[in-house]
Amino acid sequence: MATAPYNYSYIFKYIIIVMADCPHTIGVEFGTRIIEVSGQKIKLQIWDTAGQERFRAVTRSYYRGAAGALMVYDITRRSTYNHLSSWLTDARNLTNPNTVIILIGNKADLEAQRDVTYEEAKQFAEENGLLFLEASAKTGENVEDAFLEAAKKIYQNIQDGSLDLNAAESGVQHKPSAPQGGRLSNEPQPQREGCGC
Amino acid sequence: LSKACTKMSGSEATPTAGPEAPPEIRDASPANSSDSSSPTTTDTAIDVAPTRKAKRRPDPKPATEAEEAPKVEEQQPQTSTTSQGGWGYWGSWGKSILSTATATVATVGQGLTQAIEKAETSLGIPSPTEVSAQVEQEEKEQAKNETADGSAAVGSALGMLTSLTSVVQSTGKTVITGGLDALEFIGKKTMDVIAEGDPGFKKTKRLMITNTTLSQVLREAKEREELQTAEKESESEQKLVAHYGMLFDEYQGLSHLEALEILSRESESKVKSVLTSLSGDELVQLRAELDLIKDSFSLVEFEEEEVDEKKDEDGSEFERELTEALEGLSVTATADKLSKACKSTCSHITDMNKPEEDASDEDVKRRWSVEEVHAAAIRSLAELTARSIELFHKLAEMILFSHGSTEASVLSQITVVLCKEISLLSKKFTSCLTTAGSNEKGDVLNPLITGVFLEASNSASYIQDAFQLLTPILEISHIQRRAEPSEQ
Repeated sequence: MATAPYNYSYIFKYIIIVMADCPHTIGVEFGTRIIEVSGQKIKLQIWDTAGQERFRAVTRSYYRGAAGALMVYDITRRSTYNHLSSWLTDARNLTNPNTVIILIGNKADLEAQRDVTYEEAKQFAEENGLLFLEASAKTGENVEDAFLEAAKKIYQNIQDGSLDLNAAESGVQHKPSAPQGGRLSNEPQPQREGCGC
Repeated sequence: LSKACTKMSGSEATPTAGPEAPPEIRDASPANSSDSSSPTTTDTAIDVAPTRKAKRRPDPKPATEAEEAPKVEEQQPQTSTTSQGGWGYWGSWGKSILSTATATVATVGQGLTQAIEKAETSLGIPSPTEVSAQVEQEEKEQAKNETADGSAAVGSALGMLTSLTSVVQSTGKTVITGGLDALEFIGKKTMDVIAEGDPGFKKTKRLMITNTTLSQVLREAKEREELQTAEKESESEQKLVAHYGMLFDEYQGLSHLEALEILSRESESKVKSVLTSLSGDELVQLRAELDLIKDSFSLVEFEEEEVDEKKDEDGSEFERELTEALEGLSVTATADKLSKACKSTCSHITDMNKPEEDASDEDVKRRWSVEEVHAAAIRSLAELTARSIELFHKLAEMILFSHGSTEASVLSQITVVLCKEISLLSKKFTSCLTTAGSNEKGDVLNPLITGVFLEASNSASYIQDAFQLLTPILEISHIQRRAEPSEQ
C-alpha cells in the first residue's frame, strides 16, 4: 500500500450485525478495508454492530444507507441463529431494496460443536434471497470472501444499473479516479447534490 | 425498560413531521459577535489563541434573550430543516473562524490580489439586512456563483478550509455579523493558497452549492485531499503535506461524526413526534422541561481563561480533568484513547522543543523542519478531534442505552476541557513552529502558523458542534425516563 492508498473508485458502506449472546461491541465500531473487484479498488467502510436486543433501538439507526449487510450468527449456538429473522426484518426495512444481504455462519472451525447445519442455514438464506457462506473469524477462513462476495454483487448491481448511485442512501460513493491521466473536472459530479438530508 | 425504548423507536415512522422550528434560529441572531472580530489586532501569531475565541461560539446571551428564543421558534414554523440540511450550527462557525482569521491574517499580511476582489464580487455577499432574509435568496446567490467564472471560492487549501466555504455558503446570515472585513481578509489570504490545490475552484465551487451536514463537508474535504495526494503521487512530487481531513477520517472521526448525526437526527424527530402527540397542559409541561435542557446547551459559556503554554507538559493534567468530568459516565475506554493521544502529542512537542545542546551525544539530535512540525500539529489536532467526536458519539449511545439521567452540565464541562486542550496544543505547536522556523522567511512560516490556528479553530468548532448534537439525545432520554413510571 505504499503507493496511493487513497486510490479507490468506490466506497461501500457495510453494516455487520453480529448475533451473539454476549456482545462483542457496544453500539458500533468502525473499520475500513480495501478490496478489489473487477480491477476496481473499493474501500469498505465497515459499521460493526452488536445484534443484541439491548442495543437494538440504537444500532438499527445505523443500518440506513448500507450497501451491504453481513448478518453473522454462531454455528455453535442455535440461539444466535434463531434470532436471525427478526433482525433480518430490520435490515430489510431500514436499508434500500438493493442492499445486498449476506448470511454468515461464524466459527466454522468448531465443527465438533456445530449446532446449526449448513443445509438448514443455506435453505433459510435461499428462502430469503440472501447470499450465504460459513466462515471463521478465528482462522480467517472465508472472511475475505464474505466481504468480497457482497462487494461483487453490489458492483454488479451498479454495473447493470439496478443500484442508482444518485439515490440517497445507496450506500455507495463513487470517486472519480483522478491520477492516471484523467482530469477530474471532466467527470460528472454525481451523488449527494441536494441530498441534504 | 426496553419497552419504552421500543415504543419510542416505533414512532420514528413519522419523521420530521412536527411543525417545530429547528433550534438553529437562535444562531441566526447577531447577538454580540462584533467583539470577537477585531481585524485591527496586531498580535503576533504566537500570542493569539483563536480556539479560545472560538469557544465563545454558543453566544453567551443575556438571559432575557434566551427566554425569548422559544417564542421565536413558534413564530417561524416555516423555517425548514431541509434548507440547512438539518445542521443548525453553521451560523456560529463563522465567528470562530473569522476571529481566527482576523487574528492570524494580521501577521500574514500580504497584499490583495486581483483574484480575491473578483471572488468577492461574484460571491455576491449580501448586506447584513438582506442576509437575514431567505433561503431562496441564498439559492440565487449560489446559482450566481455557479455561473461565475470559477472564482467563487473562499476557502480550502491549508487542509480543511472547506469549512470556510460552507460557512459562507450556508450561513450567509451570521458570517456577516462577524464582519465583512474579516471575510475579506480570509478571502484574500486563502485565495492564492487554494488556487494551487484546486485549479478553477471546481471542487470548492461545488461545495458551495450543496447544503450539507458537517460530516459531508468533512468528507468532501477529505476526498479532495485524497485526490490531491493521488495527483501529487503520480507526479512523484513528494512534498510533506498534512491533510487534516484525511487524518480525521483515518482516526474514524468521520464515521463517528456521521453516526452521532444519525442518532441526533433520529432523536430529534422522535422528540418532535412525541410533541405532536401531546396537547394542552401535557404539551406545555413537556415543552418547558425540554426548554430547560435546550437552555443548558445554549447557555454554556466557554470561558476565556488564558491558557498558559507552559502548562501541562505531559498531558496528565488533561487526563485528570477529563477523567474528573467523565466521572460517573461509563465511557472510560474511549476517554483512555483521548488521554493517550494527548500524552503522545505532549511528548512529541517536548521532543521538538529540546534545545540542540541538550541532546545527549548518543541520540543524534535532529532539527525539525517547519513542515514536520506543521504536519505533526495537524495530525495531532485531527486525532484529538476525531477522538473527541468518538467520545461524544459513545456518550450518545450510552445515554440512549441506559435510562439514567445525564446532566448537560457534565457534557459541557467535557467540551470545555477538550477545547481548552486544543487551544493549548495549538499554542504549543505554533511556538514550536516559530522556533523551528527562526531562519525561515515569513512567507514560508506564516501560512503554516495560520494553518495550525485555523485547524485548531475548526477542531474546536467541530467539538462544540458535536456537543450540540447531544441536545436532542438528552431530550429523548428525558422523555423516555418520564414515560417509564406510567408504563410499569
